[in-house]
Amino acid sequence: MRRREWLLVGPCVALLSVAPQLTLAADDDHRVTVRDAWIRESPPGVDMTAGYMSMRNNGTRQQVLIGASSAGFGEVMIHRTTEKDGMAAMMHTSQIELAPNASVAFAPGGLHLMLMNPTQALRVGDRVNINLQFQGGLVVPFAFEVRK
Amino acid sequence: MNALTIKFGLTIATVVLAAVLAGSFVATIYREQNSRGTLLPTQGMTVLPSPKQITAFSLTDHEQHSFDLASLKGKWSFLFFGFTSCPDICPTTLSVLAGVRNKVADRTPALKPAAAAATPMQFVFISVDPKRDTPAKLGQYVTHFDSSFNGVTGSNSELGNLARQLGAVYELSATTPGSDDYRVFHTSAVFLVDPLARYHAVLSSPHDAETISKRFLVLRELEEGPVR
Repeated sequence: MRRREWLLVGPCVALLSVAPQLTLAADDDHRVTVRDAWIRESPPGVDMTAGYMSMRNNGTRQQVLIGASSAGFGEVMIHRTTEKDGMAAMMHTSQIELAPNASVAFAPGGLHLMLMNPTQALRVGDRVNINLQFQGGLVVPFAFEVRK
Repeated sequence: MNALTIKFGLTIATVVLAAVLAGSFVATIYREQNSRGTLLPTQGMTVLPSPKQITAFSLTDHEQHSFDLASLKGKWSFLFFGFTSCPDICPTTLSVLAGVRNKVADRTPALKPAAAAATPMQFVFISVDPKRDTPAKLGQYVTHFDSSFNGVTGSNSELGNLARQLGAVYELSATTPGSDDYRVFHTSAVFLVDPLARYHAVLSSPHDAETISKRFLVLRELEEGPVR
């Protein structure tokens, strides 16, 4: 092997050692799955509503949902309706931890995405993309359907 | 008396005490099972042992009509306290109540003689946030869920007056003093007032239309006899 050829080995080895990690990261990106994602159609004159979904971590590492954003809303926040002594209160939740193989349900009366200031009126059947942001930079976009 | 006798005596006393406690526990359960309060399963709906008469109050509905004690008479009223800037629990509850109205209507046979008709129902959303919830806004809001729904609000003192009579708790807490940015905490219960304007039952969350409508139909039949 000539000297010039030897020069190519270095980058090849470097690439090979990185490649499996790239694959793993890409795999894990697809391992958070979302189902039954919907937004409640807000009554006229009301500039906020809620989004619900079922989220599952099929990966081998814990994923932490730290926020969400959407071009369809001015602001998206993770909230939880809690009840204490029959009083309902809404609390901002900074993060939702999702262990490997764990699921979490965002459902009426509990966890929800609080969606504020819609950029356009939403009617039943419309679909709105919401980007779910996880710790470490993972972003899972998902289309939420507007329902009554 | 030696140590063994004392020990034996204590054992006997413990056994007797346990038996007495168990007996009274069973008796309590038996008694409760036969009371009116548990005639209906308690999950979801609790019927008051004796209905409580509501006294005068003065609110206004979304069509600017007076909503007062007289408005409660001659109807079964489902009352829910909330506010329109409430993204989760209020729309959820109002959707369930719209379902209750449909289910009860479906199961109430259409009647020939009007005299035998079941007492009508009304569903009232009471906004505890009169500063932001104008009658126009309230009207748009409640009719989105069901065209028959009524949105009601009023002065803080009159809202407090009715809320106190029902034991409904709510609280407005400012995040920044003086600003429009404040949180509203409110009870998630729905209050059922009977046609004599008596506080009759309370529905606790999580609400579900099937359970509420079934129990309401049983309660109405108990109070009024079967609808023929």
